[in-house]
Amino acid sequence: MQAQLDISNLSKNFGGLQALKGIDLSFQKGELVGLIGPNGSGKTTLLNIIGGYYDASGGAVTLEGRKIDGLSPSTLARLGIGRSFQMTKVFKRLTVLENMLVGALADWGLTRKAAEDKARGVLDKLKLTRLADSPASSLSGGQAKLLEFGRVMMLDPKIVLLDEPFGGVHPELKRFMYEKITEWNDAGATIILISHDMGSIFGLCRRVVTLSYGDIIADGDPETVRNDPAVLEAYLGDHHAA
Amino acid sequence: MTLVAIAEQAMNGLIISTFYALIALGIALIFGVLRIVNFAHGEFYMLGGYACYLAVTLLGLPPIFGVIFAVVILMMVGMVVEQALIKPIHTGKVDRPDEYAIMITFALAILLLNLANSIFGPWPQRPAPVARGIFEFGELIIPGDRLSAAGIGIVLIVGLLVVLRYTWMGKAVRAVSQDRAAAETFGINITQASMLAFGAGAALAGAAGALIGPVFNVVPAMGAVPAMKAYIVVVLGGLGSIRGAIVGALILGQVEVFATILIPDSSRALAYKDAYGLVVLILVLLVRPQGLFGVAERRA
Amino acid sequence: MTLLQKILLALVVLAAVLPMVGVPQYWLYTLTIGLYYAMLASSWSLLVGYIGRISFAQAAMSGLGAYVAVLTGQLLGWPVVPSLIAGVVAAGLFGLMIGWLTLRLHGAYLGLTTIAFAEILRITVTAEHQVTQGSRGLQVRPLIEGAGPVTYYYIFLAAAVVSVLLMLALLHSRIGLFFQAIREDEDGTASLGVNVTLWKSLAFAASTAFAGFAGGLYAHFVQLITPSMMSMQEMGYILAMAVIGGFSNVVYAAFGGVILQVLLEALREMGEWRLAVFGVIAILMLRFAPNGIFGWLETRLKRKDK
Repeated sequence: MQAQLDISNLSKNFGGLQALKGIDLSFQKGELVGLIGPNGSGKTTLLNIIGGYYDASGGAVTLEGRKIDGLSPSTLARLGIGRSFQMTKVFKRLTVLENMLVGALADWGLTRKAAEDKARGVLDKLKLTRLADSPASSLSGGQAKLLEFGRVMMLDPKIVLLDEPFGGVHPELKRFMYEKITEWNDAGATIILISHDMGSIFGLCRRVVTLSYGDIIADGDPETVRNDPAVLEAYLGDHHAA
Repeated sequence: MTLVAIAEQAMNGLIISTFYALIALGIALIFGVLRIVNFAHGEFYMLGGYACYLAVTLLGLPPIFGVIFAVVILMMVGMVVEQALIKPIHTGKVDRPDEYAIMITFALAILLLNLANSIFGPWPQRPAPVARGIFEFGELIIPGDRLSAAGIGIVLIVGLLVVLRYTWMGKAVRAVSQDRAAAETFGINITQASMLAFGAGAALAGAAGALIGPVFNVVPAMGAVPAMKAYIVVVLGGLGSIRGAIVGALILGQVEVFATILIPDSSRALAYKDAYGLVVLILVLLVRPQGLFGVAERRA
Repeated sequence: MTLLQKILLALVVLAAVLPMVGVPQYWLYTLTIGLYYAMLASSWSLLVGYIGRISFAQAAMSGLGAYVAVLTGQLLGWPVVPSLIAGVVAAGLFGLMIGWLTLRLHGAYLGLTTIAFAEILRITVTAEHQVTQGSRGLQVRPLIEGAGPVTYYYIFLAAAVVSVLLMLALLHSRIGLFFQAIREDEDGTASLGVNVTLWKSLAFAASTAFAGFAGGLYAHFVQLITPSMMSMQEMGYILAMAVIGGFSNVVYAAFGGVILQVLLEALREMGEWRLAVFGVIAILMLRFAPNGIFGWLETRLKRKDK
């Protein structure tokens, strides 16, 4: 079976630093994959290349057989790759509803009315309806994460890249987000999740990929990865260095 | 062209470079510490010219005191401006800091220009220069007013470099310009360093204005062209880089002098003289925004 | 409609009846110039206030529109309307070029680059004096032969109102939303499928096209143009007008332009000092009321409602 998203021999250099050392990785449609690794292991770099924010130094990324590396972030979003950011990038001086509309209206086939209806639907699911007309600057950190989440949902993406969606989110809201991620995944979206929150990763994902110094050191079901001595070493080694 | 003529042009370029460097160093110093481009820098330069005119022509002080007076006055003006208008950026009192910094300094430039127009009128003034006559080096003849002004300019530049390198104050300023957060954790008083840097930057521009005022003229609009040159210089050398500002000034001085005499149609060539540097500015910003010496800064 | 909107609308209606209630021609002339600045201030705020791109080339773009409109008329014999359109197109294309070239630049770097473009244009117009008459100035035919101040006043009023309405239409469309999203966060906007490159370039083009239109009209009104209309000093006035009116709203900026120009004339006795006073006001505004007079009023009136 052809993978939905295929990464082959992908490398990235920043000056002399090799952030990714020619990795191979593929994702099937509907997978929910956790991406872990110590700081500086290349997780966000990988996400940034898939999302079009960095150009790869070598290798290729293909989506459903089509080569996509080198395309702009906006083109990739239109092709069905949605992402959230480690530091939320909500539009502070726009209202919550307007934040939701931007992505939907980027599709010129959709009328404003239709986009608004859709946005209100998503806001409802995320329990943000009562904040629809508030400026995004008034949101708490967790609510901003949720809004960014909602903005990605508006794109109906095939593949969702979530970068630290639980950072600074309180436990109750976190559980709510688990629910939404699972629902989203059940509806057919492929989800790639980066997090330092091991509880969330091992609780949610059915597959966990571990990166260390730009290489994949483990890839398998949560139980196997958790007991992999190389993974333990990567994390402990990192602590020693830090 | 004879060898003497070439040497004369090269010397002219060198003299002009001194003034460019003096103005540009102020911009670089301010950018380094405060991370803002001061769009009122040309007007600080103009105020320096008027400070010199006040001291020399109106108060009758010896010309060298005109320069000292300008340095002291502009240092104070710079520090007051920093406290009143720039400090709020770093204390979180401004919503959109980048936009604010650009507009507030641009508005300040307009204010100072019109203030000078109101107080002194648009007429040119010409305070007495530090030295008169001509200097002869063999066949090479250089007007004394320019040479003495450039000489003092070089002394000031060397003085600044020594202060930055060896004094505690200079070290603090350099530390802040390298890493604001780290400097703060090491106990450097950022507020003080910022005020000092802005004051010193303004004083350098003021010194340049006081030195050039007697050579050309002191008029309210005198700052526009030199400031533009200084922006070109700092962009060429990399914003915030002290070494870059000096090298950039040396390059621009020579480019301007020789580009003008190499183009046959002299009236047109002269008219476009100020445009060459602007083309350089655009090219550098588009191709290598960090300048010749700057380090690429990744956008957050 | 909010109270402030009602007041502003009433001011526009008042402006429309002014010539009928015997306002002296001198003041109509002043208001006409004010309407020129209204178009420049509002088109500048279209760029700065909405998409968050700074530019110091607005006066130069007005000059470009003016010179292209006048020269296509004089050298190619084009009638007034096509030559005005040529001015708009030239300024728009120049803006598109600046916008596209400076895509990666931000803040002060962008400001410096736009100053460089503006100054190169001004220097070129000054230097090519065989064509442009340089700083001696270029004589321009009138917009309409034999038209009086009232006619010009109405033409400028209509032009300013239509310009601002067009800007509002653009800003209230989805494109306006894209602009604001880009202002808030470029990467975030791109991640939602919005073509940031396209809109950043087009925003520049739209802003400069309006400036070119204003410049062309102005040239045919004052009938003598010089390179000084492209100077940084002029740019400073445009900035002060937009800042004092409120540059986060094209309507507020437009009113800032008219009001400042009228005040400049009313305070003529103060001589050069009045310009210095405007500098002070602009600085105080930036520092304490960054949304300008009308932005400040808007929040005050809103608070009262609650």
